[in-house]
Amino acid sequence: MRRGVPWLRHAVLILVSAAMLLPFYWVLKTAITDENIYAYPPRLLPQNPHPYNFVDVWYLIPFPRYLLNSIVVSLLAVVGNVVLNAMAAYALTQSFRAKKLVILLLLSCMLIPFQATIIPAYLITARIGLLNSYLGLALPLLSTIVCIFIYKSAFEAVPRSLVEAARMDGLSEWRIITHVLLPLSRPAIATNVILAFIWSWNSFMWPLIITRDADMQTLPLGLARFLSYMEDTTGALYAFVCLVLAPGILVFLMAQSAFIRGLTHGATKG
Amino acid sequence: MSQPRRRLHPWLLSRWVIVPAVLLILVFGWNLNVAMNATGEIRGRVVGPGGQPVPNATVQLFERSFVVNTEKQRTTTGTDGRFRFEGNASHAVQLQAEAPGLGKSERTTLRLLFRAQDADLPAPLVLKP
Amino acid sequence: MILCFLLPSLAIFLLYRVIPLGWNAVLSFQSWSPMRPPRWVGLEHYEEMLFYDDVFWTALWNTLIWIGAAPLAIVLALGIALLVNSDLKGASVYRTIVFLSYPLMTVAVGIIWRWMYDERGGFINWALRELGLIDKPLGFLQSFDLAMPSVILTDIWQVIGFYMIILLTGLQQIPQHLYEAARVDGVPRHAVFLHITLPMLRPSLFLCAVIGLLNSFTSFDLVYVMTNGGPGHATELLVTYIYKLGFGQTKFDYAAAVTVVQFLLLLVLTFLANRLAGGNAGAVEKD
Repeated sequence: MRRGVPWLRHAVLILVSAAMLLPFYWVLKTAITDENIYAYPPRLLPQNPHPYNFVDVWYLIPFPRYLLNSIVVSLLAVVGNVVLNAMAAYALTQSFRAKKLVILLLLSCMLIPFQATIIPAYLITARIGLLNSYLGLALPLLSTIVCIFIYKSAFEAVPRSLVEAARMDGLSEWRIITHVLLPLSRPAIATNVILAFIWSWNSFMWPLIITRDADMQTLPLGLARFLSYMEDTTGALYAFVCLVLAPGILVFLMAQSAFIRGLTHGATKG
Repeated sequence: MSQPRRRLHPWLLSRWVIVPAVLLILVFGWNLNVAMNATGEIRGRVVGPGGQPVPNATVQLFERSFVVNTEKQRTTTGTDGRFRFEGNASHAVQLQAEAPGLGKSERTTLRLLFRAQDADLPAPLVLKP
Repeated sequence: MILCFLLPSLAIFLLYRVIPLGWNAVLSFQSWSPMRPPRWVGLEHYEEMLFYDDVFWTALWNTLIWIGAAPLAIVLALGIALLVNSDLKGASVYRTIVFLSYPLMTVAVGIIWRWMYDERGGFINWALRELGLIDKPLGFLQSFDLAMPSVILTDIWQVIGFYMIILLTGLQQIPQHLYEAARVDGVPRHAVFLHITLPMLRPSLFLCAVIGLLNSFTSFDLVYVMTNGGPGHATELLVTYIYKLGFGQTKFDYAAAVTVVQFLLLLVLTFLANRLAGGNAGAVEKD
């Protein structure tokens, strides 16, 4: 599939890239200027850039608190995914009765979007008394089916003889996972960490439903709330957007390959 | 994940160690900077319409909250027209000077990089009748 | 013994996927509110929804439009994937740029695009006016006609990178010898595309279609931030309507009935997409 004019393809792709990047630039530009938002025409280049909008965001709203909440929830989700998924995947590499049934159950669960069960999920969480708590925020995210299958295929790539030998040596099942399987499946761990982080960091609808206090709000909620009383009139809103996006972009750029591997794996395997 | 080939343990040189380490150092350095410069001092000068220093002018300090600015402190300038506020706890203040007979200055906004940052007003407050 | 390792994950899935699905179905046949004991009302909610609730029909129609826009995005993504899938210099840079918007927080993306569409400070209005295409700024998100396409465009902007990655993976799995054989036989380029590339991509295209379907469920964040279903109900999706019913008006039972309809819609459409893809695309769902 090769054609003679690479510059034409470059031109098209540069155009596409510009369309993808322009919104980021536009927001960043507004975040670092004092441009009057009701002035027309908007300036294409930032004039007198300064960092004070970011300072305002940090102090005017409980930004550090939102950040802390987001980090706690994301940490819970990451740890939950890395540990629980590894355990479940290990179980799935062993043979036991009803294994077929469990796999079938997991695959069909994958077809149920979480949003489709949001009302009873809320009622259940209320009943176990986890509304408005970190655990309640993180619980539905603690284990993901896609990630279980990613671990499973990584574990299956480990030679069986190695596991058998470890078992002969009297290692417990738990130590087989932590000392034999996990060290040999680093890419799978990375994928788990990244997917869990991105999903929990971005999650909005669930926190919107189960948090009641401003103290328990996570960053996306804080952002939506800020929007509702600032109504696009201030550079601080866009500074907030930049601050919220930065960790996601950083993690994504650092772990692009693991992220893409995870998504395509999840997509092609279920 | 590229494997660096130095004598250090490869995990130490992976970007998963280096990037967070750099971030930590930056955060630590910034906090050190904040801690060393956060005494809440704001210094400035008041001059008259001709540029001469104005002694005994009253300077007001307004603190910015969400939408309104409230007066927090006032002080008077010394013989050389200089003034100094202490104990400012805000990250964005407004300053205004006034002297009998010489009029008022415009309200000047001073935005700081962190709360209670020590700062010098870059341009003097100019009184206008 | 080994089941113990499986238990925590299974418990979470039971608690948040399986049980809610069943409870949801039960709830939709009941009259229920947090204060009163439940009472069976049969199909009453469904009757109200189907025959008296205009907002439901608007939301349903909008959801179908939203799903209907997915093929457009998939075609665009296929074009980009074909361009990127070659030994073009810098192909990986383009790929990263196109994919960059996908993993970002949708709430933030919604705010970014509100700003792009803004009447005065927004880039789009500015560009259109500079080009002389319009003489008055357009309130994209405030207009009954333009709000829905504008929000859909934002959605496409965010997910197109994901479609591209899936199609790219599919393209790379097509055996090279097929293309070589076609070249030896002198098959024209468009025929190669129609008879080799497209059929071999069928599973990937099916996947994109299913993701597009699911996307109509998960786009809550975008609509909530950009228009909150407005103006009027011009951008109301089923998922935002369910949220408003359940958590705005505490009509959990009625919201559950709408959820059931939405879920059935998803199942039927997934089944149809599977059929269209040749019936064997279900194979990709099995491990």
